Amino acid sequence: MAIVSAFLLPGNPLPALHPDTDPWQQLVEAYQEVGEAIRTARPDVLMIYSTQWYAVLDQLWQARAEIEGIHVDEQWHDYGDLPFRLRTDTALAADCVARANAAGIKSKGVDYDGFPIDTGTIVATGFIDPEAKIPTLIAACNLYHDFAKTEALGAVAREAVLAGDKRAVVLAVGGLSSNYIDHVIDLTDDHIAKSEDDAANRRFLAAIRNADQDGLRKAALDYAASTGTDMGMKHIAWILGTCATIQGADVKAYGPIYGAGAAVVEFRLG
Amino acid sequence: MADGKIVAGFVAPHPPHLVYSDNPPQNEPRSEGGWEPLRWAYERARKSLDELKPDVLLVHSPHWQTKVGHHFLGVPRLEGKSVDPIFPNLFRYSFGLDVDVDLAEACCEEAKVEGLTTRMMRNPRFRVDYGTITTLHMMRPQWDIPVVGISANNSPYYLTLDEGVDEMERLGVATRRAIEKSGKRAVLLCSNTFSHWHFQEEPDIPEDMSKEHPQSYEGYKWDMRMIELMRQGKLREVMRLFPEWVEAAFAEVKSGAFPWMLAAMDYPDIPAELHGYGTVIGTGNAVMEWRLDA
Repeated sequence: MAIVSAFLLPGNPLPALHPDTDPWQQLVEAYQEVGEAIRTARPDVLMIYSTQWYAVLDQLWQARAEIEGIHVDEQWHDYGDLPFRLRTDTALAADCVARANAAGIKSKGVDYDGFPIDTGTIVATGFIDPEAKIPTLIAACNLYHDFAKTEALGAVAREAVLAGDKRAVVLAVGGLSSNYIDHVIDLTDDHIAKSEDDAANRRFLAAIRNADQDGLRKAALDYAASTGTDMGMKHIAWILGTCATIQGADVKAYGPIYGAGAAVVEFRLG
Repeated sequence: MADGKIVAGFVAPHPPHLVYSDNPPQNEPRSEGGWEPLRWAYERARKSLDELKPDVLLVHSPHWQTKVGHHFLGVPRLEGKSVDPIFPNLFRYSFGLDVDVDLAEACCEEAKVEGLTTRMMRNPRFRVDYGTITTLHMMRPQWDIPVVGISANNSPYYLTLDEGVDEMERLGVATRRAIEKSGKRAVLLCSNTFSHWHFQEEPDIPEDMSKEHPQSYEGYKWDMRMIELMRQGKLREVMRLFPEWVEAAFAEVKSGAFPWMLAAMDYPDIPAELHGYGTVIGTGNAVMEWRLDA
């Protein structure tokens, strides 16, 4: 049927672990607002791409029907645990594996007890669907796929969703500028690590407000070339591939998470 | 207590394929073997480690990546099942390790004195990374020697390489000082691959050795050049060429374990023992030893 909506969402766990910390409240409120809107829309599936699930050999797709546990982030372990619960649309995942292989992107599903779901996916689903009522389709971020190949990967997932006559929400889970503050700070003093990062983030967010498909692609590539960004903004390539009809974006929140840039953005679809 | 010492340092790379091909009872998947020369290299290293009779193993792993500070395992006992997020088909390993928390805290404090940002990892539900586990399994599958686990702060990636190496060298100096004060016999384990150019698709049978070879000839030549210098005891020359090696071979030594270990050993001018070299999915892996104490 359709891609219902699409979002850029932060994957850093600190706002989820400390939602009342002043610099992160705006991000948390925007995340909560998006979560409520998505739950109200009752999509059939959440199409997730997180920059924190790395793949290096082959493209990986989550294929485990149900996964739950308690996650501890490798960096932010002293800020608390992240309980999680996920359900996978296994038929859709299998279809994506088959279609991706047919498209020349060697792929496989992962279906293993104890598989370490990445922090970004856990943070996003924790805000959006904490009770795991909506099945997910989760694709790994292959470190060796460039922006174009990631967009092609998104297009494969889009074809599978449309072929299955499903209503899907797209979640691109990742950050903006990727420079962290490299020393211990009082969390209330959080700020973007470098002023040039802040300027680049703001230019990017301004550029995408009225950008169409080509405009968003250009803005993301220009931005990634201008400063250190999270995974070269390949999560935006996932948005482009899955949605195919971008007409602009509404920036709901922007701010720092321990110096790195983060934003909650809803994309307008044609 | 005093007179602690580093008795040896090993380059002990962590491809999970080596555990997979070894078929230990702790690992769920079964293999038909593969990568034998590298596993035999580890067999020699294990024998050597046995002779050294260390009180503690310190391992620095590129797969515990931290963005803010250098972190140290700080829970006395950590157990669980470690599933490799990249190679879950090969590595689903039930582990249990004892941490030398006293020494970890001492390393952490000494690193602070060196001006580094540090943090102790106190969360008992923490999932130990597969790099740490693979290196420790291959070096000491009995798991009967306490461990200090150290994260790879990504300073070599977000700072300049020189600045990142400087951080790792200061971490090494701090580690040495903490060991000396501890009175313990310590072995250092540098858990990284050399040339890190690798294939991007997995063979249908992962252990099909007819598919295994260096992914990059350039990377292979650099590895051989650097190993030969190490065998000659020319570590200062190794470090002079380090930036070129990192660049040309995409060498994983960039992640910090290698300069950490060499600095902790104070760049000894003794020849390294090469226990063996082999490729895993095209990457270059050497098992090497610097024995400081006979």
